[in-house]
Amino acid sequence: MILLLGLAAAALCCSSRTGAQETPYFVAYSHHLEEPGNLEVEVYSIYGTQKAGGDFIAPWMELEYGMTAWWTTEFYIDSQTTFGDSTVFTGTRWENRFRPLMHEHWINPVLYIEFENTTDADKTLKEVVGVDNQFDAAEPNSEANRSHTHEIETKLILSSDYKGWNFSENFIGEKNLGHEPWEFGYALGMDRPLRLAATPRPCNFCRENFILGAEMYGGLGTVKAFSLSGTSHYVAPLAAWQLPNGVTLSLSPGFGLNNNSHRFLLRWGMSYEISGVGRKLRSLF
Amino acid sequence: MGRPLISALLLLALVAATASAARHWKIDDRGVLMVIAKAPVKTRSWKNPYEGQSDAILAGEKLFRQHCAECHGDDARGLGHAANLRSSFVQNATPGELAWFLRDGNLPRGMPPWAGIPEPRRWQIITYLKSLGPQ
Repeated sequence: MILLLGLAAAALCCSSRTGAQETPYFVAYSHHLEEPGNLEVEVYSIYGTQKAGGDFIAPWMELEYGMTAWWTTEFYIDSQTTFGDSTVFTGTRWENRFRPLMHEHWINPVLYIEFENTTDADKTLKEVVGVDNQFDAAEPNSEANRSHTHEIETKLILSSDYKGWNFSENFIGEKNLGHEPWEFGYALGMDRPLRLAATPRPCNFCRENFILGAEMYGGLGTVKAFSLSGTSHYVAPLAAWQLPNGVTLSLSPGFGLNNNSHRFLLRWGMSYEISGVGRKLRSLF
Repeated sequence: MGRPLISALLLLALVAATASAARHWKIDDRGVLMVIAKAPVKTRSWKNPYEGQSDAILAGEKLFRQHCAECHGDDARGLGHAANLRSSFVQNATPGELAWFLRDGNLPRGMPPWAGIPEPRRWQIITYLKSLGPQ
């Protein structure tokens, strides 16, 4: 919370002329990468209810950097608080996204690879894979946080833009580096700004700065049992407010679609894009 | 002992790769010319729906400052190796060619594609660029 307030204060005090074009999805990814040389600092949280344990809040922080126009790298720090239990640091993740095709097409692929060093207490729910369900999150933090997992997560991101809409489809394959089978999942996203053309003058509250959309995500079983059943699925409308100074505020209530899912999830977050970081780094070498 | 060393090496590699990538993230006027020359023929006939409209020029200027000025400068003459958008290469290109270039970018040479910006806004940026005229 202190970090979020600090980021908010910094964002209001500093002016950045950078406007991000990334889609404000929480789970799905589009083919729009971070602009080269820009650093985006993002702070997100998720609140979730669960039947077999206390509700939880899991904040995470992302540092996203545009290495080149076709390569974005991102570092995550995860944590969570379970009501009636404790607050724990749950690990780190490092992801990379690559655009293999150099031009825009009807469907634009992006290759995603992530290394996760987290514990079983991680509740950020950045993806649902295998037979993930809400009862996995019911284990007390003291026990869950002892079990470390090292995983490689891969995604095939397919994304299209059409008349202001973005449609994204992600196919997820995750492999625990221990002796676990491949697990699969999916995430779908669509969004659109409320107004496509920009107004002549700078404004914070005009419709062009607001984006509405929705996401749907869930598991697809494992390599041994590929299935939509026995796992959890969610649908989540989302709204984002992109301020001209580089700050984006986003909110997304999510709803579980079966008994394996958390009944209700609420995600919120704030991001701030800092332009020209690459140029400053370059001047050091 | 082993794990901190590996982490430190990974961090060092990341910083070095960042610095190396940062050296190449800009394009020059010549790069713009070469890419625009590759624009599909059909794009040359694309019409700018906002051509010459004063509101579109103002909106385009606002968008330019948000998305483009960081690399191309407030006066659009280019910073460092970033292209001078008032050069004849750019000013003589058709609006359709510029729309294609803005949408697709030039990934190998550091110009990101701006397809994530809705098409009307990309046309507004082009309207503004064309209003600047050659240097």
